[in-house]
Amino acid sequence: MKNTIIYILLLSTFGLVSCSKWLDIQPESEIDRSILFSTEAGFKEALLGIYTRCSKTDLYGRELTVGTPEVLVQNYQISSADNYRYLPTKNYRYNDADFIRRKDSIWVGLYNGIVNANLILEEIDEQQRLFTGNNYHIIKGESLALRGYLHFDALRMFAPAYRIAPEAEAIPYVTSYSNRTTPMTSVRGALDSIVNDLELAKELLADDPIRSAAYIINYPTASDTLQHTELHSPDLFLQNRRHRLNYYAVCGALARVYLYKEDKEKALENALIIINAKKFPWTNATDFLAVADDKKDRILYKELLFSWYTPTLNNALNSNWFTATQHGMYLENTDAQAIYETSDISGDRRYTQWFAVASANNSFFSSIIKYRRNPLGDTFIANLHYLVAPAIRLSEMYYIAAECTFETNPTRALEYVDEVRNNRGIDHKLQVTSLAEFQTELLKEYRKEMFAEGQLFYAYKRLHAPIIGLRGETIPVSQQIFVWPLPNDEIIYGQR
Amino acid sequence: MNLSYSISVIKLSAIMYFIACLQFGYAAYTQTITYTAKNESLEAVLQAIKKQVSYEVLGTTDILINKDPVSIVVKNMPLPAFLDKILSPRKITYRIVDRTIILEQMRTNPATTLPQRAETHTQRTRSGRVLRSDGTSLSGASISINGKTATVADADGRFTLPAMVLGQSFTVTMVGYIPKTISVQENKFSYTIQLEEEVAHVDEVVVTGYQVIKRDSYTGTAITKTGEELRQVSPQNLLQAVQVFDPSFKLLDNNLAGSNPNALPNINVRGASSLPSGSGEILRRDNVTGTTNMPAFILDGYEVTVQKVLDLDMTRIETVTLLKDAAATAIYGSRAANGVMVITTKTPKEGKLRVSYTHETNVNLPDLSEYNLLNAAEKLEYERLAGLFDGTLQRQPQETLDELYYQKRANVLGGVDTYWLSQPVRTAVGQRHGLFLEGGSPVFRYGVDMRYQTRPGVMKGSDRNQYSGGLNFSYNLKNKIRFQNELAITVVNGHESPYGSFSQYARMNPYYRMADDNGNIIQRVDTWRRVAASGQGTNEYVLNPLYNATLNSFETLGYTEVMNNLSGDFDLGGGLRLRGQVSLMKRMHTGDDFRSPLANQFFNYPTERTNEKGSYTSYSNNELFWDANIRLNWLKRIGQHDFNVVAGTNIRTENLDERSFTAIGFPNDRFTSIGFARGYAENASPSSNYIASRLFGAFMSTNYSFDNRYLLDATVRADGSSKFGSNNRVAPFWSIGAGWNIHHESWFDNSVINQLRLRATTGLTGSVQFSPYMSRTTYTYEQGNWYSSGIGAIVNNFGNENLSWQKTQNTDIGFDMGLFNDRIMLSPRFYYRKTNDLLSDISLPTSTGFVSYKENLGDIENEGIEINTNLIAVKNTDWTVSFMANLVHNTNKIVRISNALNGYNDRVDDAQQTDGLRGVPLLRFKEGQSVDAIYAAPSLGIDPENGREVFVKRDGSLSYIWDPRDIDVVGVATPKIEGSFGGTFRYKQFMAVVFFQARLGGDMYNQTLVDRVENADPRYNVDRRVLEEKWRAPGDVTFFKSIQDQGQTEVSSRFVMPDNLLTLQSVFLSYELQHSLAKKLSLSNLRLGLTANDLLRFSSVEVERGINYPFARSISFSLQASL
Repeated sequence: MKNTIIYILLLSTFGLVSCSKWLDIQPESEIDRSILFSTEAGFKEALLGIYTRCSKTDLYGRELTVGTPEVLVQNYQISSADNYRYLPTKNYRYNDADFIRRKDSIWVGLYNGIVNANLILEEIDEQQRLFTGNNYHIIKGESLALRGYLHFDALRMFAPAYRIAPEAEAIPYVTSYSNRTTPMTSVRGALDSIVNDLELAKELLADDPIRSAAYIINYPTASDTLQHTELHSPDLFLQNRRHRLNYYAVCGALARVYLYKEDKEKALENALIIINAKKFPWTNATDFLAVADDKKDRILYKELLFSWYTPTLNNALNSNWFTATQHGMYLENTDAQAIYETSDISGDRRYTQWFAVASANNSFFSSIIKYRRNPLGDTFIANLHYLVAPAIRLSEMYYIAAECTFETNPTRALEYVDEVRNNRGIDHKLQVTSLAEFQTELLKEYRKEMFAEGQLFYAYKRLHAPIIGLRGETIPVSQQIFVWPLPNDEIIYGQR
Repeated sequence: MNLSYSISVIKLSAIMYFIACLQFGYAAYTQTITYTAKNESLEAVLQAIKKQVSYEVLGTTDILINKDPVSIVVKNMPLPAFLDKILSPRKITYRIVDRTIILEQMRTNPATTLPQRAETHTQRTRSGRVLRSDGTSLSGASISINGKTATVADADGRFTLPAMVLGQSFTVTMVGYIPKTISVQENKFSYTIQLEEEVAHVDEVVVTGYQVIKRDSYTGTAITKTGEELRQVSPQNLLQAVQVFDPSFKLLDNNLAGSNPNALPNINVRGASSLPSGSGEILRRDNVTGTTNMPAFILDGYEVTVQKVLDLDMTRIETVTLLKDAAATAIYGSRAANGVMVITTKTPKEGKLRVSYTHETNVNLPDLSEYNLLNAAEKLEYERLAGLFDGTLQRQPQETLDELYYQKRANVLGGVDTYWLSQPVRTAVGQRHGLFLEGGSPVFRYGVDMRYQTRPGVMKGSDRNQYSGGLNFSYNLKNKIRFQNELAITVVNGHESPYGSFSQYARMNPYYRMADDNGNIIQRVDTWRRVAASGQGTNEYVLNPLYNATLNSFETLGYTEVMNNLSGDFDLGGGLRLRGQVSLMKRMHTGDDFRSPLANQFFNYPTERTNEKGSYTSYSNNELFWDANIRLNWLKRIGQHDFNVVAGTNIRTENLDERSFTAIGFPNDRFTSIGFARGYAENASPSSNYIASRLFGAFMSTNYSFDNRYLLDATVRADGSSKFGSNNRVAPFWSIGAGWNIHHESWFDNSVINQLRLRATTGLTGSVQFSPYMSRTTYTYEQGNWYSSGIGAIVNNFGNENLSWQKTQNTDIGFDMGLFNDRIMLSPRFYYRKTNDLLSDISLPTSTGFVSYKENLGDIENEGIEINTNLIAVKNTDWTVSFMANLVHNTNKIVRISNALNGYNDRVDDAQQTDGLRGVPLLRFKEGQSVDAIYAAPSLGIDPENGREVFVKRDGSLSYIWDPRDIDVVGVATPKIEGSFGGTFRYKQFMAVVFFQARLGGDMYNQTLVDRVENADPRYNVDRRVLEEKWRAPGDVTFFKSIQDQGQTEVSSRFVMPDNLLTLQSVFLSYELQHSLAKKLSLSNLRLGLTANDLLRFSSVEVERGINYPFARSISFSLQASL
């Protein structure tokens, strides 16, 4: 009997000792952080998770590509029924509840992307032994690049432009996974951190497969399999580099950031890396103008340095946001004509390919069909390319190069702009006499080229230029318009 | 194990009882003894023999005292011969049963051997028979005279007493029965003694699940009721019955689900101690679905869910104990903060095969008395008054509206006045048949039970049927080694009513016809055209809810459960017992929900979605629970010190694996199998959920009393749970209680007060009712949304590794007083519970990447008074009249809350302005206020001038405009006093038990007035008060706003009303057949009973009850018979 007691005591002691381990249960429908980061695949998944997160409708899947920034630069008409409640936003009513809700979720979304990147960056160096091939550099490089990229967009929305107030309090630059508040940095400080991260990313991505000669940019539907090199890698993770922040995308982002920081030399240097690499071909007119939907490239896919992959958003974009009715965002025929200056400049293929005349209630208007898919479905055969949200495109590099060279070499600068115009079917050469006039013309080109891509608003803000409405009306420059208020939760709980 | 030891054990229990069947072990003759002794004590001899033949020896030690020493030499002598040789001269008889030698003092006048000596005139042997209360014979009872055991009843319960002096008395005792003392009467030589089972006095012990403690020496607060008492209150719902005996155990009203047999209740004990946390949803007061305040349920030693308790066969329940304060619950540690309900089920009794049958017929009647709707003519008149046929108001041509009006009027005049409410309801008759077989010897007992029970609901087609079967075996070797195994299989099948939500019927206009002239149910009964100010018109189709019931749609849910519970109990000597238990429960839930493609919900699908009509949702959930414990009990009296100590550990794992998916597109109504679906809904994917949690605890609890005067209870427990954060894996809990039995003090001599006990306890208990993975940083895969280069995983939350359990400090002070020999019992209690470290969401600056995370922050206080009283007015063989009353007063206060709840309150402000919630008081949480506070805009009522409502703004000014910022606390839903009272009346075999429940002093927000009167859409049927009590002309002093005002009424203090309620909770009548009569029917017992529940209800608030499912009144007839 004594023995029994001893056995029981031993057993319970043993129970207590191994108890802590026994109580450690791994969830099944979710995965614990420590488990995820114990394999290379886990790191890959965590990285792809950031892209997936950012491709949702609250960020680049809709809001930051065709949403609020485009509404703010007066690129759309919205019927008085205002089904999506963007009219107050269009009128810069930043105390409107819908604007606040959207703006707050943009902030939350961007920083959620950032924390995902920070989680990877906190673990990756310790786990370096897990990685095969060049994956350590790619994953770390892309994570850093994403952190910089997302912070940069937060900065462009929620902080004053560098040109106006470089030392103003801007945003927190968050580099750790924590529940503690990160202090605010100045615009300059934030830009320095962004540049830091992007430059480091650029170094890490030096051996990006996209830089190899074998990686030829083409449509995923190209029938010749030798041409099909974007999908050529046997490793799914290394396919479609342009849907992720590849080496060139980082250079493009750097060009953007340096320009924002008014470091024209560096901006030009990065823009020229892309232009001179001759990696990204201009879109053939035949592809752009093709009638059959499955032969058509509306988005100028091959020119995209970087885009967010959004195959499931066809309905969100084409059945809700842009429709052949006036329920969503549309333009009057005259508005579209004004943007593309059709009365002065002929042949602009963008005007004919991105807008369609539609009718409702016996009146005609232009419906926006830039993202229109073959109604067959969401698979890529629906068009020559996938459904993507453009993020950085080749033409922007030409515009950056032009802006950086105008003061030293205006002729060269105009050549850069003209090369883009040329490839859009315009042989009419741009002529300007002053820097101010050049800026005005350049902003017009931004609007034409990156219509519904969410970049024009930042260009106005960077140049501190008054936004020009569709009917030519001028909206005076105002910090109240250019700087979005921080979310209340950020102010209250971060004691900003 | 030696002989003296086993003998002392027997002495401890002070009685001997033996196996009645006197099969003389044939083996005993073949056993032979070879033995030599010289002047050895008898004990030593027996000891040696025991070793030789490996027999047990049983008997009281006094048998061996003062016996002559033994000197003997034998060789190969058969055992019986040897025993005869050594025992007979020492006046000891023996019996051999199985492998046990049972020793008895030889009777001086054994009646069987010397009958002639009983013939003396003053002294004569007397015989008797011991019976159970049900009339069956009871073997093994011992009969003692002057404290010495004289004899033991045989297999038939018969015994013969030695000659006794007139006036002497003898006492019959048996374990588990109340001893009876009988005086010898002059001319009576044969006695029949019925022993009552001690279970009837279950009040005297407290079952904590790990220990059984004498109530007299216990300081914890526990309410114990027998299954019998509970069944008298409610034969169908155990929880409802418990509530009557303890109003602190509170079933929260669910006005939406009514008496739906498939709905699970929400319970809290002694007030709410946690806040709804987690999801960002806005909570409605009338629809709180969280189960954050549930007590823990312990069934026969292992933890079960509330669902298991509701589906339990009530006739199998032996006792229910509700543990409330820290001293009582601390042994359950992290599960104890909201109280613990310990349920024990009946175990089989020994004896001949005994068959019991119970039958019950339940009649449930829908209670529609709270609905007060307009009839056809009144309704049409109301529509006219509301301006529905006014061309200008409706922006429609007057002639169209006139035509519409006269069409409806033709219906009214034609006599159409459909009472829609009665269409989906029925008088439901359910039944239960229970069969229980039991029997066996004291060593081996068996029980088999079967149950078939139907529980139809008052909505047509809804039911919950239960079938169960169980086997119970127990092995008990002289109380030294006990094993018991219980295996039970339960099948539960439920159906939801195909008639859908009851609210649809309440809104149908009485002038609509249900069916066409051929008796076919019409699907579309009417069309309303609404024209907006912009001129845009929409048609609104009124669909007949009865149409759905004509289709093949169905919704079933149910589960199959297999449970096995094995327990063991070993006597280690010295008052130590080692006990252990392992239980395994597997429950497989399934659910199927088929909606016919013709159902009303698909009526408005556009033509291109025709192939998406019809849906089928399949659900499955596999649950597996393991629960085991091992414990050492020590029960010892040393001098005046009584110890009852338990120490042990328990371990528990829970696994839950849930899956569901929905298929859509069915070709027609006939094909109801999921295989006929066209496919899955667009973008829909199957859902699954897997949850596992583990708990490990070690505990020690001591119940000590000194001379039964000074009492002490102390408990410590450490719990480890997989739900805690990794930095806080083990949680300590404790309690201490002290008591003083003043009535046992020598100086206390009071003719009125016969019992007076003071007790005070305090302790710390916890609760971990949160999702197991909250303390971790986890990632979720975006399965439905692959990126072009692979699947992505996104971080979910900021995992707080410091997360810990909620801690409730519970202090309880009270006394028990018995007056006039316990005829009046009074036990008031005061309690104070403070819950610290409430788990709540903490808002983060969103630049951290997260909106909030979980932290232990926030405190809630509950304090209250409970008073229980009992009065036994009359108690004699023919009559019993007793009364009971109890009441509770609880106040609840949020002491501290986190900033996220402030954020939640802001969201509520926004939600309050969205459609559908404007008129509903939403849950808000503010420091210093009760969790039950009602928040609305303060209002002065309706201005008689213009029929508009006047609001009081924050600054005291008046306004016609409602503003969410004016919303404040306008009432508290917690009643000031809540309680029940009732009485038991018995005359011979007749018994009546009546219970009332009442609550006073709380507030209620009368949602009916908002939804069905003020905000009522005149196009649908409404409460009668719409027509009768609305403002019509200047000068009308009314409660309701203008009849023409069809604007939305917002949440306002106008609708807060005092909530006083009195219900006749239950009436129970029973008749038990006299034994003599029962005998004639060859039954040992027969009892008939009738219970009626919710017969009467008086409420100060007129409110529609049972919105989606009506409430029911029920009457049950029961029959119990045993062979």
